[in-house]
Amino acid sequence: MKSVVTTVVTAADAAGRFPTTSDLESVQGSLQRAAARMEAAEKLAGNIDQVAQEAYDACIKKYSYLNNDGEANSNDTFKSKCLRDVKHYMRLVNYCLVVGGTGPLDEWGIAGQREVYRSLNLPTAPYVEALTFARNRGCAPRDMSSQALVEYNALLDYVINSLS
Amino acid sequence: MLDAFSRAVVSADSKTACIGGNELQSLKNFISEGNKRLDAVNTIASNASCIVSDAVAGMICENQGLIQAGGNCYPNRRMAACLRDGEIVLRYITYALLSGDASVLEDRCLNGLKETYTALGVPLQSTGRAVGIMKAASLAHINNNNTEANGGKRFRKMEMKDGDCSAITSEAASYFDRVISALS
Repeated sequence: MKSVVTTVVTAADAAGRFPTTSDLESVQGSLQRAAARMEAAEKLAGNIDQVAQEAYDACIKKYSYLNNDGEANSNDTFKSKCLRDVKHYMRLVNYCLVVGGTGPLDEWGIAGQREVYRSLNLPTAPYVEALTFARNRGCAPRDMSSQALVEYNALLDYVINSLS
Repeated sequence: MLDAFSRAVVSADSKTACIGGNELQSLKNFISEGNKRLDAVNTIASNASCIVSDAVAGMICENQGLIQAGGNCYPNRRMAACLRDGEIVLRYITYALLSGDASVLEDRCLNGLKETYTALGVPLQSTGRAVGIMKAASLAHINNNNTEANGGKRFRKMEMKDGDCSAITSEAASYFDRVISALS
């Protein structure tokens, strides 16, 4: 899975050389920024149920037609699946914060996303609304430090862009 | 290829769980001890050719048959192949040490190595011994406790900050052991 370290190792291996000083410098650079990412991941992991629930409620509130008969949020099974989907995205954001790249979101979230939603006839706008709500809900320093919030929001923006 | 972080992610994903608490704590240690890791990789990479040639020379010292006619290090061509392979193994160990995970070593180096050596008639026991000597030399370099008595004429001490390197040492040792057990 793509991260700073694996990129460095792949390049070094392709050239058949030992890790050089500049390779070590780039790993060092990513480690320096890692503390903020770990903080964001920790805070998100601790509150993921609440974050997902709030985001889900916000999108259903905006798109209340989804509760109508035959729509995507019309019965309990659908409701729990919608909430689960939002939670999945938050979990992948947690993974991306840990890895320090968008690898988990790319491989497990975004690849094939459009095709799945199209074949299940799901609208993407409510997902965008849910994630946008989560993005605007985060607040420094109440939830996490400002640097951590920057990392967290950047990943939410990445998902939002992939859906819109 | 995985590193310590993506390894944690892959195992959390198989349980559909978030990463928090204990797993995150070990990753935080990885980050705070990061400089030791980089120093360790640097010291092995800087002394690589010395470590490799010493290990091969030591292996031959203990088993002179290798450089007599019919031995596996006999013409220069085969000796050169031996030195090259030692360097390749050590290189993949530095990659594993840098990423904090053995997957790159397993996938790109050890997978099928034993079968290849058996097919080519390379003695596995001697190879394992050479890796063992590389292990001893590398660990001494990581801890910076190599001595002039052991190093001889080529003795070299790196300028490094001293500290407790027991964790990174045992991690590095585990990668060497992995190679040795893959060959036996």
